[in-house]
Amino acid sequence: MTDFLQLTAAGLSQGSVYALLAVGLIATYTVRHVVNIAQGDYATLAGLGSISLVSAGLPLPVAILIALVTVTLASVIIERLVISRVKNLTTLVSIILTLGVSTLLQAIMLLTWGAEARRLPAFPGSDLNLGGVSIRSQELWMLGALVVVGGGVLLFYEKTRWGKALRASAEQPVAARIVGISPAAASIIAFAIAGFVGAAAGVVSSPIYLSIWSGGLLLGLKGFVAAVLGGLYSFRAAIVGALLLGVLESYVAGYVASGWKDAVAFFILIIVLIIRPAGLVLRPNAVRV
Amino acid sequence: MHRAHRRLLIPAAVAASIALAFTGCTASNFGGDNGGGGDATEEGPIKIGAVLDITGVGANLGVPEQNTLNMLAEQLNEEGGINGREVELIIEDNQSTEDGAARATTQLIENDEVDLIIGASRTGPSLAMRPLVEAAQVPTISVAANAAIVDGSEWVFKTAQNDVVVIERILDHAEEQGYTKVALARDATGFGEGIAELITELGAERGITLTATEAFEPSATDFTAQMTNLRAADADFVIIWGITPSAGLAQAAYVQIGVGKPVYQSHGVANDAFFEAAGDAAEGVIAPMGRLLVADQLGDDDPQKEVIDRFIADYTEAYDTPPSSFAGHAYDAWKIGVAAIEEAGTDPEALRDAIEATSDFVGISGVFTMTPENHSGLTADALIMAIAEGGRWNLLEE
Repeated sequence: MTDFLQLTAAGLSQGSVYALLAVGLIATYTVRHVVNIAQGDYATLAGLGSISLVSAGLPLPVAILIALVTVTLASVIIERLVISRVKNLTTLVSIILTLGVSTLLQAIMLLTWGAEARRLPAFPGSDLNLGGVSIRSQELWMLGALVVVGGGVLLFYEKTRWGKALRASAEQPVAARIVGISPAAASIIAFAIAGFVGAAAGVVSSPIYLSIWSGGLLLGLKGFVAAVLGGLYSFRAAIVGALLLGVLESYVAGYVASGWKDAVAFFILIIVLIIRPAGLVLRPNAVRV
Repeated sequence: MHRAHRRLLIPAAVAASIALAFTGCTASNFGGDNGGGGDATEEGPIKIGAVLDITGVGANLGVPEQNTLNMLAEQLNEEGGINGREVELIIEDNQSTEDGAARATTQLIENDEVDLIIGASRTGPSLAMRPLVEAAQVPTISVAANAAIVDGSEWVFKTAQNDVVVIERILDHAEEQGYTKVALARDATGFGEGIAELITELGAERGITLTATEAFEPSATDFTAQMTNLRAADADFVIIWGITPSAGLAQAAYVQIGVGKPVYQSHGVANDAFFEAAGDAAEGVIAPMGRLLVADQLGDDDPQKEVIDRFIADYTEAYDTPPSSFAGHAYDAWKIGVAAIEEAGTDPEALRDAIEATSDFVGISGVFTMTPENHSGLTADALIMAIAEGGRWNLLEE
């Protein structure tokens, strides 16, 4: 039983990273119908950037803050320079474009930070031991980041006028324009949010999982699987899906064989796309994968 | 929809034609080379190729190896090369993959027509290179560990200490502590291949039984599952067999779940990157390794001290960071290879025989004596036991 709970705890903290990336993916998909392959690279970029700032002598919170702001800006710049230039942007074209962006970001990171994995110092806090189940304080930070950042984005999109307007601009662009919502502004805001949550995922996970230039693609794809579980639309379903995915991976690694771990996500992806394209969303609407 | 398709067609067509053009180029280059020169090239630069794990999971190994080779090649050419001939070093990145290593090797053999190959950094890619260099008869010195790389080989040598002697050192030490049960977490790739069998076999002579084996991918980031299973195995001590960063992350996960049994690691963690990956969890880990990382604690009578001290000074001056054991494996491969070329020239058979005749060569990882049967050249004396203390490796008093 202790082992089971230990595996669950590890899965939940891994899942919280997937969840943040899924939130970022949905943020841009619901507004621009863009599947952003570079979402995971935002995480590694923020991780590596904050590591450099810390080794340059900046205090950890300042380094993290600068990394979050920089990656948010980088995401907006990518939107302005690449995404917004394409007329009649289809989802397929967006995948090809952002795959290019991802490759470019990885090359820049490889040349800037080198090929070796690096670690951000752990955030303050002491580790817990609950009846034999050990939980690192950093894992609580990861779950906390999901609650605060992921929850914040969810509330913004679902409860505020601004958030609703963002979605409206995707579903009814003409009507949105008539009532005064600029599609360009909506797109910028969506990419800023995606950059911010991606960066948050990167800095909270770096102390445990390390940051390496090439790590973003697989991380982003796991986030994408979680986003598909949310029908590429529902933040709630995607977050639940991401946590389930993390836990399932952990069980497979513990009870079956660790070699199967990375296959779990893609097995789920195939099953979901064939059997239930709406994912975990209980009341599927028109948006499909 | 149709328009979108057409728009995609153009870039796809462009990409396809570029790809075709590339294949065409390589083919014509290859043909040109064959037509131009013969195979007896005793003039022009001596070509040494290297296939290293510079990016990917082996980066902690391949990067310092690349640095070392670049530095030594520069030094050699400043001193006038080998017998007046310049040395051209061609380094290929295999991206820590087997197929990447095979491609790079073919490239070095067929296009660059190198005289000697160094690499690869890890066992898996080295094993992928072996049949290619054996068939092409190109002398090759691997810098990876597993004895299978050179087992029965004709053209392949290696400079990292054999896994067998490393395991013997670990088990000897564990036996002295009175341990009888061991649990193993091993690298799932070539480096960890056969390790469980070796521990079972060598442990039997020492009254040590293997109670559980777990495997981990070198690219993995979460090791809770494997470590939880090791906890259930209820052993006296644990062996984590891998390279950094994965072995360091596994170490951190093991300490995190709070079992508290002593941990031994392999010479795959003989670098400072281990401390970056494992953090405070590194404290107290024991690992057999070469003398490089504890050079400041060696006695003045140690035969390797002078060589090691000079290498550390040169490397630190060039790269502002001290070398790892892996840098040392590359140093040994380079020096053994260059010494053999100096003596025998670049005729493949003569060069192979010269490497095979290496005797009492004082290197970084040990003192090498190769024979036709032994293409590894190191004995158990090449290893010391080191303990992780305060963020560095210290010589363990035995």
